[in-house]
Amino acid sequence: MTIPKSRNGARFLTAAAAVSIAALALTGCGGPGTGSTDSAIEPGSGEGTINVWAVDGQAAENDALKKIISNFESSQGKIKVELKLFPSDQYTKAVNSAAPGDLPDVLDFDGPTLASFVYNGKMAPLKGSVSDATLSNQTDSITSQNTVDDAVYGVGMMNAGLALWGSKKLLDSAGVAYPTTPEKAWTADEFTGVLDKLAAVVPGGKPLDLSEQYGFAGEWGTCCSAGPVIWSGGGTMLKDNKASGALDSDANVKSLTKFASWKKYTDPNADGLAFPSGRVALSWVGHWTYPTYKALGSDLVSIPLPDFGKGTKTASGTFAWGMGATTKNSAAAGKFLDFLMSDESVRTYTAANGAPPATKTALAASDLYGPGKQLQLLGDQLSKACGAEDQISDTCVSVTRPVTAGYPIVTDQVGKAEAAIYAGKDAKEALSAAARAIDQNFADNDGYKK
Amino acid sequence: MTTTKTQQIQTSTKPLRRRRTASLSGQQFAGPLFASPALLGLAIFLVAPFVLALVLSFYRVQLNSPRPARFVGFEQYARLFTDPDMSAAFGQALLNNFTFALIVVPVQTVLALALAVLVNRKLRGMVIFRTFIFMPLVFPLALTAVIWRLIYSRGDEGLLNAILGLFSGGALSSHDWLGDPATAMGSIIVMSIWQSVSFQMIIVLAALQSVPTELYEAASLDRASKWAQFLNVTVPGIRNTLIFVALITTIFSFRLFDQVYLLSRSGSVDRGSTETVMTQIINTGFDNNNVGQAAAMTVIFMLIITVIAIIQRAAARQRGGV
Repeated sequence: MTIPKSRNGARFLTAAAAVSIAALALTGCGGPGTGSTDSAIEPGSGEGTINVWAVDGQAAENDALKKIISNFESSQGKIKVELKLFPSDQYTKAVNSAAPGDLPDVLDFDGPTLASFVYNGKMAPLKGSVSDATLSNQTDSITSQNTVDDAVYGVGMMNAGLALWGSKKLLDSAGVAYPTTPEKAWTADEFTGVLDKLAAVVPGGKPLDLSEQYGFAGEWGTCCSAGPVIWSGGGTMLKDNKASGALDSDANVKSLTKFASWKKYTDPNADGLAFPSGRVALSWVGHWTYPTYKALGSDLVSIPLPDFGKGTKTASGTFAWGMGATTKNSAAAGKFLDFLMSDESVRTYTAANGAPPATKTALAASDLYGPGKQLQLLGDQLSKACGAEDQISDTCVSVTRPVTAGYPIVTDQVGKAEAAIYAGKDAKEALSAAARAIDQNFADNDGYKK
Repeated sequence: MTTTKTQQIQTSTKPLRRRRTASLSGQQFAGPLFASPALLGLAIFLVAPFVLALVLSFYRVQLNSPRPARFVGFEQYARLFTDPDMSAAFGQALLNNFTFALIVVPVQTVLALALAVLVNRKLRGMVIFRTFIFMPLVFPLALTAVIWRLIYSRGDEGLLNAILGLFSGGALSSHDWLGDPATAMGSIIVMSIWQSVSFQMIIVLAALQSVPTELYEAASLDRASKWAQFLNVTVPGIRNTLIFVALITTIFSFRLFDQVYLLSRSGSVDRGSTETVMTQIINTGFDNNNVGQAAAMTVIFMLIITVIAIIQRAAARQRGGV
């Protein structure tokens, strides 16, 4: 009995191996079939139903989106919109695993995932489908995020920006004068002096909140914490698609070491209440906390992030809209995108989530980010767009995160390195290790070139 | 007569033979038939994924990539052991796992036994006491992790620092428990024991209550002290349960993930100091999308766990256990 049994076992193992190899072939070959579909879109009749995929956001955002869609449907009678919302943690997976025929006509995407979607042949360039007026009304910072290999794949209603939020009362009581424009940003050394003065007036002696509760070892670290520090110090994460020689440069070592030296002034903010409760005088965070922070009223001021040598820098970019690579109705999809980018739609959407508008006309008319308004600084920063990392100059402010299909490894390693440096590890060592890991992964994937 | 007799014999043998063949075939197929759901489950959920991991570990596979998988032989394994960065990280993760297991398995088993003996006493209000001990297990880990992050928070804001500061007159008040690599793993161990000791306690408690009371009566007639009763009646009585508890605690401590992920990955602390093999595999496979490398890690890890399980079982058997 033992002999047939073991033969059965062997047969089973072979079968299992065959199944797994078949699965492997599927994962390997699922892509190439869809890889060269740039020309697979058809203009279609310009009417009928278009499918739209979006990330299930905050309730107010979803309501605003549904309102915009119903406005679109009532503004004309020919195009109907079928909206499908996905949970945010499943969204990238849903798009990546969709067969070419299942891709929607219009889809939402997060800025850093675009390059990967394009690499996987999921997106179609917008030129020709979306009107030129819509494309030229996009602010430079959002266009830079939505451009892959010189083709525009997305249009955005909103943007994102960072600032140091300050409590005017505490700053005044410490006798600290603060900058209100990007040009006058504190240098990193001045900032240390400011923290010394502020430490004397805040109750716990720790006047700064760096949003540690978001975790440096992740996207927050890369986009919004290490990113601005690196860019402002004159460094980059990648150079010519390589991290060695860029991420581990002396400039980055110096900037991030300086950043880590502020740990002794920093409240860990484990409860997320450091700034609103008055424990700290300064909070390094994004525009999205404004709805909570505005409770401070006229006591709330926005200050540019410290300048590490090459002018203050902030990250920009967020969710935007693009077209599925295989849409059979790109004319109707284009019309919908045009409508999404109209002033009224952008106003409805950004009013719901408090984000800075990403179109030029809506930004100028914004009653929060427009000239003379409370968050003018963030609006200013966004209109001074640098574009990608390699185009950074002294005067531009908003930088786009690296646009590459290898972004997942970049963000993981940069965040990990920042957290290690912040915990006291040698900066050169941490950054070199991160750079080696990134380069290894890029080399394994032929540099993520198509 | 003879014909009827033979007919009778024929009619009586026919069903008999039929029954015999039926029972034979039943015996032949009943076993595999009844085992098949479990075998199918094992094949789908254990054998297939493991074979797949084994196969994947010989390829360069990137999630969300249009590039076809590339066969690279033992490259992933070679990197894991010879690449200075990767071998250091993997070694550190393994070391963290072993440190965790070496401390948690004995401490948690002994603590579970002590607590079980304690709550097994018939005192008034024991139900309430038992409930309190069992409570950490009832709350989801994601919830208790939020509280523990506040406890371990650095500076005066941290509850632990505040208490230490109060007792030491302010001398000990600003340690960064999770941020300092020296105490990061220790902090996770304490939280982990607090969270799961009650589970082991319940298992030991059930075993304690099954030890026959006559044995204690006999022992006390022999004037055995309470301590002697514990050593010579209680411990041998629940021996197999203790071995079982130690075994599952070992398994739990090698698949350590949630505590580390919730306490340190989401905070702004050095990931390397608390990384376990599990968190590293998830990180490699699903954050870096490097499935081939992650598969190689799982295969190595699986081999290590198998060796430990075999050693543990052999040790338990030698002493006449399960």
